[in-house]
Amino acid sequence: MTVLLRIDDLAVSYGAVPAVDNVSLEIEAGELRVILGANGAGKTTIIKAILGLKRPRRGSIRFDGTHDLLALKPHEIHRLGIAWVPEGRQLWQTMTVLDNLRMGGFETRDQVAVQRRIQEMFDRFPRLRERQHQLAGSLSGGEQQMVAIARALISGPRLLLMDEPSLGLAPIVVRDVFRLTREINAMGIAILMVEQNARQALKVADAAYLLETGHVVDQGPAQEIAGRDSVKAVFLGGSA
Amino acid sequence: MDLLLQQICNGLVIGSTYAIVALGFALAFSVLRVVHFAHPDIFMVGMFAGLVAANAVPGMALVVALIGGAAGASALGYVAERTIIGPLRGRDMLTTLIGTLGLSIILQNGMALIVGPDPVPYPALLPSRFYDIGPVMLTLRQIADFVLSLFLLALVSGFVRLTRTGRATRAIADRPDVAAAFGVDVPRVCQKTIVFASGVAGIAAVSVGTLYGSASAFVGLMYGLKAFTCMLVAGNRYIEGVVAVAFGLGIIEALVTGYVSSSMKDAVAFLVLIGVLYVRPSGMFGSYAA
Repeated sequence: MTVLLRIDDLAVSYGAVPAVDNVSLEIEAGELRVILGANGAGKTTIIKAILGLKRPRRGSIRFDGTHDLLALKPHEIHRLGIAWVPEGRQLWQTMTVLDNLRMGGFETRDQVAVQRRIQEMFDRFPRLRERQHQLAGSLSGGEQQMVAIARALISGPRLLLMDEPSLGLAPIVVRDVFRLTREINAMGIAILMVEQNARQALKVADAAYLLETGHVVDQGPAQEIAGRDSVKAVFLGGSA
Repeated sequence: MDLLLQQICNGLVIGSTYAIVALGFALAFSVLRVVHFAHPDIFMVGMFAGLVAANAVPGMALVVALIGGAAGASALGYVAERTIIGPLRGRDMLTTLIGTLGLSIILQNGMALIVGPDPVPYPALLPSRFYDIGPVMLTLRQIADFVLSLFLLALVSGFVRLTRTGRATRAIADRPDVAAAFGVDVPRVCQKTIVFASGVAGIAAVSVGTLYGSASAFVGLMYGLKAFTCMLVAGNRYIEGVVAVAFGLGIIEALVTGYVSSSMKDAVAFLVLIGVLYVRPSGMFGSYAA
């Protein structure tokens, strides 16, 4: 397998406050890896650094071996085949569902493929076809998450960055989202997911990183990580 | 009754210009998160660029003036974006505000150095003709100004709603980071937005110069204050809202002028602003968050 994304010795600060430090991780083509950590551990910061939305203080991020992401602007990084499901969905509230999906393929050369993928998404999520002309802000949380995931898939990405896809959703919808994640991964799209819901995430992931106050404190295959006492104590909770 | 209709028509003509300048403010604020205080002065420079162009080619003065106004204003918009607005975008809002305010002062006083501080006569690009439409009397210049303004407003609306770049501006206005991460070249779209809004303002400025028969280095000041008021009263989320408020303000001013006194009309504009913001702090139709 080839390494799709490699992060080495990443350090990012907000002003004088370090958010992540000395973080190294990688993901191979077609893999599903998860970064686990509590609120404020620096998970979203890593995602934003990959997307070019937050400039690191130190370190390197390489995509596909040859591309130095730190030298690229966000829209150029997107063109390499990296798409994003942001924390809290972050749909364009004043646009319709259909326009949100169209914007997902804004920079895609092959507009025929964009049209085809939009129809595929409607086949997969019939509720979205019914509501395609409604404003995205008027949908329920679960429906908005479907739009956010569909929007990210329209450009035909090779790597999908998912930031807390289960956050703020009803338990039954959370299960749908994780099942969907596994289906997307099965289509050959690599996924780097950031989650607080360790129990569910470890069930779908190939490998996991544990992030604590900006440092990777443990890493390994998902099954191994799930069995470790430190993980149970910190992320899974005694009774959860 | 005749006075009422007459003043409403006069108000619509004034309001249409407020609307165009206000849309420039609204686009700059919603897309770039910049309070673009130099926008009315770009309008002013467009007025003089049209004047220069008209004098250079007297044969077809009107067309040349409109093109000259658009070209001069959009070129200045481009320079302003490259030198001041672009580099400061994303900083603290006060920083960009001071930057554009500085540019505004430079443009006003720079122009005053060239043409003098007093109003100068504007070439008569349209004949002085009057039309009686029912009980209302309008000049050809008023009608032309109003029709041209409506055309420009439709152009801006079409740009935002129907074009690819326009969709990108809406995406940026709502969520700039998400737009960038989905392939929108944000700095470039910001630049296009400023150049486009400047060009539209330049065309409108030529028409306003013709309407009043004079141009002044400080003409932007009054339009700027009124247009800025319109944007705040409407909120910047819906450009149609800004346009509606601009027409409303024009009509209120014309009615105050007709029934009370022309010296009261400016005070009324700001009373409306204070009243609306007291009840709805983010404007009548809502705003994108700063």
